[in-house]
Amino acid sequence: MSDQATSREAQGPAAAPTQEESLYAVRQKVYVRAVSGLFAKWRWGLVWFTQLLFYGLCWIPWNGRQAVLFHVVERKFYIFGWVFWPQDVFFLAILLIISAYALFFFTAIAGRLWCGYACPQTVYTEIFMWIEQKIEGDRNKRMKLDKSDMSGRKARVKGLKYAAWIALSLWTGFTFVGYFTPIRELVQSALTLSFGPWELFWILFYSSFTYLMAGVMREQVCKYMCPYARFQGVMFDPDTLVITYDEERGEPRGARKKGVEPRALGKGDCVDCGICVQVCPTGIDIRDGMQYECIGCAACIDACDQVMEKMNYPKGLIRYSTENAVKKHWGMKEILAHVMRPRTLIYGTILGVVTLAFVWGLATRSPLRVDIIRDRASLAREVADGYIENAYRLQVMNMTEAPRSFALTLEGAEGLRMVGPETIEIGPATTQAVTIQAQIPYGVLEPGSHGIHVVVQALDNAKVRVKEHTTFIMPR
Amino acid sequence: MNKLIEVLWPSFLVAGLAEIVFFTVINPQELYFFGEPVRVSAIATYSIGFFGFWLICGASSLTTLFFQRGSEEINHPERFQDS
Repeated sequence: MSDQATSREAQGPAAAPTQEESLYAVRQKVYVRAVSGLFAKWRWGLVWFTQLLFYGLCWIPWNGRQAVLFHVVERKFYIFGWVFWPQDVFFLAILLIISAYALFFFTAIAGRLWCGYACPQTVYTEIFMWIEQKIEGDRNKRMKLDKSDMSGRKARVKGLKYAAWIALSLWTGFTFVGYFTPIRELVQSALTLSFGPWELFWILFYSSFTYLMAGVMREQVCKYMCPYARFQGVMFDPDTLVITYDEERGEPRGARKKGVEPRALGKGDCVDCGICVQVCPTGIDIRDGMQYECIGCAACIDACDQVMEKMNYPKGLIRYSTENAVKKHWGMKEILAHVMRPRTLIYGTILGVVTLAFVWGLATRSPLRVDIIRDRASLAREVADGYIENAYRLQVMNMTEAPRSFALTLEGAEGLRMVGPETIEIGPATTQAVTIQAQIPYGVLEPGSHGIHVVVQALDNAKVRVKEHTTFIMPR
Repeated sequence: MNKLIEVLWPSFLVAGLAEIVFFTVINPQELYFFGEPVRVSAIATYSIGFFGFWLICGASSLTTLFFQRGSEEINHPERFQDS
């Protein structure tokens, strides 16, 4: 690494117009040239989609509360009509498994789709670069501005950019915290400047993070900090669609006049304009082959297609293709025929099964949960009329968002009777503790432990019923 | 700078995971601190918990980094000043 660093330094200022303080490795600032085209449209579509979701979802009301709220203080996650409790951690685990397999599945088919189009790092970098472009101008203007000496204009332009970035970052941090603390309360705190210390801290923390990641570090996050970038390679195989430079068609590269037949000059289709390198957000040259730095954003495809169009050459010198397709000169049909292969089928099947399990689990989730704790003070005691009594504490959870009444009964032994409330009303999304006693006449059962059941039944819906097992201890 | 990030970043990631797992399983209101129930707010407990995890994970990263030095680096630290 140090060798590389010294050789780069040796190239001098001409090769490295702006060299920043090194975070990981000596870095040459990447001036990304803006690009338009089919894939850029897709990326912007996803920027809009994910960010409307992120900035908007926290403002939607639902049942008199925030529709999506991860209320860490109450330890309840509200997602539209659902309320998730810590007991539902199972769903979270399944959701993580689904996300992981979806990632594997799409990566196996078409490479780093997530990185190129939907990852927050890509999305925020895209937005931050858009701001930069609007304020500082295009790539050449930005490079010139950075090289120029400090002047009133430079200070103004840079200051404006930083101000816009900071404003967006603060809004992002505020929105983020708004998913954990009701956002309308946060607005109230903002108006009166009375944030809780930790709320303020996390808003600023997330804001600085956004600023640092999207404004300053950019491609370095993907290259050095992202764990996924390091292991995504294991999901690739020779049939995975990746961004590919058609070396056979392009080489030998070189400049030429428009309208000249390249083969007559002994040249390939690549005009060596370098635009594919200028548009690359990670600053690599796709013509060097597949590299782990490539986030699969397809900016070079868009850029190259425009150049090919101007030259009247067929598009697709850089395109989505597979290793096998390039080697064996396959067309789109053969590539698509190879999408179905053991790897994708296995990932796809697991993904499908787990997703079904998730949906099924959610659909059949009981809105009532009962936990029984035996009274720890005394196992059993004798009461009037020759009865033996055991005491239990029930934790009854009403997981719906409306108050509900439940009937309590005991079953499972001869002569069993219950002392305690026969019906209870529990508020919306609340847990209530209820103490009940079970009594059985002495001598009806053998001494020892016997299984009995506590039945909790909603009064308004016969299907909402929980039968929990516990034990009754009959002394000698 | 380089080493600082090497310690702070992986430990940040792992601390985030640890935080989620730990507080999903354990309710901060049921924690005891030197025999006293925790009295600070839930958000404060979560936050302090996160930094606690980060600190522990950071200590582990630091130890890894410390033991990773080769004999050359230990015997001749002056040759490794710049890295």
